[in-house]
Amino acid sequence: MARPPRLLGNLLLLFSLAVLLAAASLYLDNDGGHGPAASLHLTQAGWQETVATGYTAPPAEVDSANLPPAWQLVALPFSPSIALLRQAAAGAGAGATGQVPPGVRISWLKVVVDGLPVQARLLALYGIRVKTDGTIAVYINGKLAHQAQAEGPAWNSTRTPLWCTLDQHAGSAPVREILLRLEHSPASQTALSSLRLRPANVLQSAYHVRLWLQQQLPAMLSAAFMAVGVFSVFVWLRRPQEIAYLLFFNLAVTSFLRGLHFYVDLPVENDWFAWLTVNSLFWLVLAVHVFLCQLHQRPLVWLTRALVAVTLLIGVLTLPVLAVLPNMPTVTPLVYLIAPVMSMITCVAGWRHSPEGRLVVYGLFACTAMGMSDWLLQNNIINAEGWYLGAYAPAVCFITFGVLMYRRYVDAIAEVERVNAGLAERLTAREAELETSHQRLREIELRQTISDERQRLMQDMHDGLGSSLISAIRSVERGNISDERVSQILKDCLDDLKLTIDSMEPVEADLLLLLATLRFRLEPRLEGTGVKLLWEVRELPTLPWLNPSSALHILRIVQESIANILRHTRATEIRVATTHGVDGVQVHISDNGSGFDVAQALGHAGGRGLQNQRRRAASVDGKVSWQSNDTGTLFTLWLPLARAA
Amino acid sequence: MNPAAPQDPRPIHVAIVEDDPDFSHALSVVVQDSADMRLAGCAATQAEGLALLAGPPADVLLVDLGLPDGSGIEVIRAAALHWPSCSIMVSTNFGDETHVMRSIEAGAAGYLLKDSSPSKMSDEIRSLANGGSPISPIIARQVLARFRHAPSAPVSPAGAAAEATDTAEATEATPLLSQREKEVLDYITKGFTVHEIAGLMQLSHFTVRTFVRRIYSKLKVTSKAEAIYEARTHGLLS
Repeated sequence: MARPPRLLGNLLLLFSLAVLLAAASLYLDNDGGHGPAASLHLTQAGWQETVATGYTAPPAEVDSANLPPAWQLVALPFSPSIALLRQAAAGAGAGATGQVPPGVRISWLKVVVDGLPVQARLLALYGIRVKTDGTIAVYINGKLAHQAQAEGPAWNSTRTPLWCTLDQHAGSAPVREILLRLEHSPASQTALSSLRLRPANVLQSAYHVRLWLQQQLPAMLSAAFMAVGVFSVFVWLRRPQEIAYLLFFNLAVTSFLRGLHFYVDLPVENDWFAWLTVNSLFWLVLAVHVFLCQLHQRPLVWLTRALVAVTLLIGVLTLPVLAVLPNMPTVTPLVYLIAPVMSMITCVAGWRHSPEGRLVVYGLFACTAMGMSDWLLQNNIINAEGWYLGAYAPAVCFITFGVLMYRRYVDAIAEVERVNAGLAERLTAREAELETSHQRLREIELRQTISDERQRLMQDMHDGLGSSLISAIRSVERGNISDERVSQILKDCLDDLKLTIDSMEPVEADLLLLLATLRFRLEPRLEGTGVKLLWEVRELPTLPWLNPSSALHILRIVQESIANILRHTRATEIRVATTHGVDGVQVHISDNGSGFDVAQALGHAGGRGLQNQRRRAASVDGKVSWQSNDTGTLFTLWLPLARAA
Repeated sequence: MNPAAPQDPRPIHVAIVEDDPDFSHALSVVVQDSADMRLAGCAATQAEGLALLAGPPADVLLVDLGLPDGSGIEVIRAAALHWPSCSIMVSTNFGDETHVMRSIEAGAAGYLLKDSSPSKMSDEIRSLANGGSPISPIIARQVLARFRHAPSAPVSPAGAAAEATDTAEATEATPLLSQREKEVLDYITKGFTVHEIAGLMQLSHFTVRTFVRRIYSKLKVTSKAEAIYEARTHGLLS
């Protein structure tokens, strides 16, 4: 039964992957990768730097011949080195005075195109990266064809590829010269990747893939991580004692903030945004550290305090309102250097303590390495065609914490299964135990019942049947008894025996049924005596306490009463009636005989019969009474409706 | 000891299956002393009893349950099958519920207490042959309970219509007691005699006795239906 779902699962997985691949190939195919390969990959340029008085809008036309003839031949990608300390000092000066630095620099890059082999209507110029903190302008044959960053660099500027299209209509001149005008501050440097000039449809896929990987994918990763963070904060709301979920939310938020600059195109001058993105890196490190502490359950007080202090200090120093340090990209490269130091310390501290902590450390280490690589790229130490790997740090975070969660989830399921199995086992054991004790109880009960029955029957035999038989045997042995008398005694014995058996029949708490049974037994004996039995019973309520033992007592009481009438009075009529009151029922047995002295009969030694009736009545919580005169006797048996348990 | 025999041209043929020689002898004497009865056969074991059934059917068959080679119940069953016109009577010491109910379910129409006087015995045989059946209060209560718990009893108008039909024995469906049959049983459980009930219900005592016979045959059908029902619920029959 386990096989078909497994097969189905595999098929489903294959199908999903196939759909994904199809979507990706459609996306790339749509950009037409099949065009002629003929194109220009421009890897050499002339470069020179001029000084201007301030930032100006790029003119509509620039003739490269009018620029100073100071062209230096450089290879593309072009990444001139940056003097970080000078840059920071200049930035600090700018921040402090709040003025435009004297002498804006303009980098000119001139690429000469010889004999473009491509004949296409729409050409595109594509460069992976143009980096500058001023405007970017592209001139084709001296005419302004494209400009960007008119208001200074945006946060995503270094992740935005250069892309401009040229409409080569019939009358237009072929592209001969491409001139880039890049404005920048005196302290900072520009960078430029190699350029490609091709039909637009050929280049489009490369451009889109680059844009997707550098901007859209990071945005998606950030959003996904943020979504998981929101999920985890809801978990925390229900389980406030598990602070790790809140920490995870915190991680998600800070990494979301940290990732903003990869895809948000606000101008760099938004100081609060800058403060947020720069500081969130430190918060991120701090959050990971606290998370690690939570994982390995060791406080590491001093390290925590130090990290908090550094984070606070940087946060305060970089506050835009205080303006102690400017937030310009010119300063941040130095501030950023503190972050890897912090995270390395955190790595070392977290390493020793737990396997889970080690996993987080691997992740943190990877993220730090990515951040370092970003820093190197940002500062022209790696060439301009490289990748900003920091954009994928949320993915690393996501995988790391995903693995943690996955392990916990799987462990939790296994634990639940184990607990359930244990519970089932205990339940079975308990059931068996209960069954055994129940069995034992039933056995005890049965033994008790048998013993009680035996006791009751023994008593009954002893009082009636047994003693009658013994006296009959004695009489027969002495020889002074007639056959008829023997027969009569034996018949009485048989009647006794029948009543004993009747008492064991289920009468279902019905006293009338019991009396009916007695009548059924006595009727044949009355037949020859000439005594008439008047049966005047009325419906009676049930007596729930009527069990075989009490039934036999009642049978014997009534039997004795009728036997007394037959034996001692010369009655011709016996009347049996029943009545009921609030708390009991009565059986009345009256006759029209000669009557007897009740007090004398009870006191007399021979009146054992009446005493027996009284004793038997008492043992079922009932009462007997006699009213007798010379016209007859009324015997009444009172029985309670309910007996105390 | 010889009651005035009715001027019936056809005597009652009585067969006896009884292993106790004393009782068997006493019974034979009762039958032989009655002018309206003939002893049709005597058997002392189950095997002999079953062999007896191969012969011509008797009018009344007296069966003891505790036979040396098996239960008399088997003989009752076989007799109900081979001698459908015969009235079967079980002889018992106590007339206790267990034995009597089982015999009636097997097809008996009455029972005879072994300690009855000879005149009582001949009366009972005669009564049975004439379509009457004895019943004790406890048996009556048991029968009532049995019909109350009868499984899947079909709904049928109780009362006169049900009474009018001769017997429900032929129908395979579980029969129901009619209102008057219930009334009779109810009086019996309260201790009234057949004659008293006849007075209370304004019927002849023969009719009351016949009611009991009919109730017994319904009980036989019910118990058969119950057995089928039980077998079905236990998956023995499909």
